[in-house]
Amino acid sequence: MKKKLLILPSIFFFIILSIFFYLLIIERNPSELPSNLLNKNVPIFETESLFKNEKFISSQEFKNEIILVNFFATWCKPCRDEHVYIKRFSNKKGIKVIGINYKDNSKKTIKWLKNLGNPYSDVLIDKNGRVAIDWGVYGIPETFIVNSKGIIKYRHVGPITNEIYKKINLIINENE
Amino acid sequence: MKMNNANSFILKRILIISLAFCITQFFSNISYTVEPDEILQNQEYELRARNISRNIRCMICQNQSIDESNASLAKDLRILIRNKIKEGSNDKEIYKFLTDRYGDFILLKPPLHLNTLVLWFLPFILLALGIYIVFYHNKKSR
Repeated sequence: MKKKLLILPSIFFFIILSIFFYLLIIERNPSELPSNLLNKNVPIFETESLFKNEKFISSQEFKNEIILVNFFATWCKPCRDEHVYIKRFSNKKGIKVIGINYKDNSKKTIKWLKNLGNPYSDVLIDKNGRVAIDWGVYGIPETFIVNSKGIIKYRHVGPITNEIYKKINLIINENE
Repeated sequence: MKMNNANSFILKRILIISLAFCITQFFSNISYTVEPDEILQNQEYELRARNISRNIRCMICQNQSIDESNASLAKDLRILIRNKIKEGSNDKEIYKFLTDRYGDFILLKPPLHLNTLVLWFLPFILLALGIYIVFYHNKKSR
């Protein structure tokens, strides 16, 4: 009995060690948090559009087509880095790309989009970050894929890389 | 004798430095980043906002509450909580609003769910097991 009891802590220690080792070898970013909005309806919000004179009402816009929602700002360097991929998405058929301009200066944004090219079919203004809170955003750039029923299917935090670009393409194809 | 004096001098110095360190640590824990323009006039509302903010994680710094963090999202959330209180939302509604958007991770204290059972009860189980082993071992060695 005594021997058995002495073995018990060693087994526990080994199990804990294995769990830690497993978490070390699998590919994961511990600072990336899962979205609570996955497989839920897009948040209800209303905001101004940068180029259109009408209000953007989410409940009227997110239906009938796949929409890629990209939170960006001119002051955010990674947003500039991923811009080339956003442009590639805008050239893809069957998908609409909407940009949400986070805590930015509208004049600077217009100039930025003129210089780099505007891949967005609509640019929404989120002056005080309230729309971002509704989407559970905690650090831009963030990208969401919304299916034709208005349900969020994917969220990526950080700039889109070649790998993420491929992954998003797969998700778009799955939801078509 | 000289050596003794030198020793006690060093000991005193160490004591003073440790005391100063403890005092600064104590005060650093009660410093908040709530800015003057955020504070509500109604003291009862402000107290509620502070209590809620202390339980809400700053999603950027992750180990700080939004009451302690000076990240811009933390400030936005502090203002949002105060606005919700002014609009008449109760604490439960405010927590729900935040967890609906950011998940349970935004709460510094994880709620008791089926998937957090291990997190909550494993330490107690291990403690009980440890106590049992120690007592059993003592009994045998006697």
